[in-house]
Amino acid sequence: MKPVPVLLDCDPGHDDAIALIMAYRSPAIDLLGVTIVCGNATLDRTTVNALRILEFIGAKDVRVAAGCVSPLARELVLGTADGPSGLEGSSYLPEPTTTLDPRHAVEFIADHLRAAAEPVTIVATGPLTNIAFLLLKYPALKPKIARIVLMGGAVYRRTEYITPTEFNIFCDPEAARIVVDSGLDVTMVGLDVTMQVLVEEPQFAELRKIDTPLGKVLLDWLKFYEKLHRRQMGVGGALHDPLALAVVIDPTLITTRDAHVAVDLTGQFTFGATVADFWNERQLGTNVHVASTVDTDRFFDMLYVLLRD
Amino acid sequence: MERIILDVDGAGDDILAILFALGAPNVQLEGVTAVTGAAGSVEQVTRVVLNTLTLAGRDDVPVAAGAWRPIVGNDPKDMLAPVHFEKRLRARFGDRLSGFNPPAPEPVRQAMERHAVDFIIDTVRSAPGQISVVATGPQTNVAMALRQAPDIAALVKQFVVLGGCFRTPGNITPVSEYNIWADPEAARVVLRSGAPVILVPLDICEDNRVAPSMLTRDDLADLAAGPPGPVVDHVVQTFPIYIDIWREFFELVGFPLDDAIAVTTVIRPDLFTITRPYFVDVALSERLVRGQTVVHRGRQILEFDGPVTTRVCEGLDGRGFMAMFKDALRAVDARIPT
Repeated sequence: MKPVPVLLDCDPGHDDAIALIMAYRSPAIDLLGVTIVCGNATLDRTTVNALRILEFIGAKDVRVAAGCVSPLARELVLGTADGPSGLEGSSYLPEPTTTLDPRHAVEFIADHLRAAAEPVTIVATGPLTNIAFLLLKYPALKPKIARIVLMGGAVYRRTEYITPTEFNIFCDPEAARIVVDSGLDVTMVGLDVTMQVLVEEPQFAELRKIDTPLGKVLLDWLKFYEKLHRRQMGVGGALHDPLALAVVIDPTLITTRDAHVAVDLTGQFTFGATVADFWNERQLGTNVHVASTVDTDRFFDMLYVLLRD
Repeated sequence: MERIILDVDGAGDDILAILFALGAPNVQLEGVTAVTGAAGSVEQVTRVVLNTLTLAGRDDVPVAAGAWRPIVGNDPKDMLAPVHFEKRLRARFGDRLSGFNPPAPEPVRQAMERHAVDFIIDTVRSAPGQISVVATGPQTNVAMALRQAPDIAALVKQFVVLGGCFRTPGNITPVSEYNIWADPEAARVVLRSGAPVILVPLDICEDNRVAPSMLTRDDLADLAAGPPGPVVDHVVQTFPIYIDIWREFFELVGFPLDDAIAVTTVIRPDLFTITRPYFVDVALSERLVRGQTVVHRGRQILEFDGPVTTRVCEGLDGRGFMAMFKDALRAVDARIPT
């Protein structure tokens, strides 16, 4: 099967890092490039993290471009799961020898879309600032975007915060609204499904079998990454971003329901909430495929295969 | 010479601001950028800008198209309100209204391929401390430039923001002015950028306290009595309807020249009464007050943090401005090769 051309926009971030590795290794994906946004850490840190990960896995041919240093209309509030560097627990990752693409992420994506022979899938695993900026700046490029698969939002389930929000949307809700209202094919892989792909003891046991430098780094990452989950929610680390990426490799991993998703911008405690209307009460049609169930076992099988060898 | 980028949303007074900037003393117009706003789509605004420059014989001035929508915007019903207002105008003025913000004919040249945001960033970076960006529509382009390239906040000479209101009631809500309301999040980005900002509110443009700054039929008669030229002729023919609308529907003594006044802050600050810098912020979240500009002056119990960088225009020598305005239009004509 022909690989799907993908641009990955991310803010590594442990789970972004794993998604990045999967994207590079999967034969089903033609990774055109990686763009970086702030979120899990400041932009300089998420950018260095991406370069270090790519260096480590020998993916020096993948071009990386840095994007927005702050959300569209708000001050940056950093994520808390990944530690100060955004990738704690992995002190022996190499320093990058590759250089950053000189273009801003938005220009980098725009140039790739212009040059693309077929429409490109955008996978966004951080706040949607870069993607919204692209849509603000170059609306004419929309036909070159096949679909957007984003990790973000929450609809059905209790969330990791005391507000009904998920971090990526909370961090830049204005950007999220631009993306879901873009008219593009948007799949929202939110906490409803990503909180069902948890790294618990059986998954750790499988990962320990991967006796490679990559396997060791992964274990270190996941041990750090699970701290916040364990402390606050009593569960293992959720592989949010890898699931969003996996959906591009195998769309049957999830089922979706179509709805109009509105992003709340002004609620005192609810800004950033993704409020889905499955019954068309708003009479606004549907704008998002909302992931509602996930085949957890098949997701992990895919992950193990991509991490082995 | 003051080097200026003019960012416009293409309504009637923007046209006059472009012509004014071309003829005013001490202005080097680096380029004109277009943004979606009062006059409709960015494509329409871009055409208006190109046609205006052609009229003035200045096809050498760079033009770049910018944002096609605001960052967040407003309820679609509210954004259509100006269209409904035009229906009331048509009921009153009939066919005369066809000269009011007409669809722009196809221009003789195209805008540059570069996006307005990149033009602003590149121009500001190329001349640190020298470029004033005068934005007379919604602040979307300027905010995007600041978000894409935060370094320009320290490189720009100043941002001139046409918008907001304080003593004068708002024109879109009782406390908000259209440009700020149309993209309040963008205005906030500019006002909080740390760069020096001059705010030109409705108070010194659309208020009869500054009546001498408004364009009247007397001013058109003055222009008509002078030497003819394409620019003067165009203004004399086009603007009576604008004057009448603003007299009848807004109860102003003439057509307010907000955008040209904004340009004037850069070249003739002595014509203004202007405050010391304050932190100026924008209300975002309730329809009644969305887009309200708030100056942090006086003493309050609660503290609000933000950069103390915005100077607010409070008074204008309207006669001095109007004399300069008419001279500038004549100067543009005088420079057009015959």
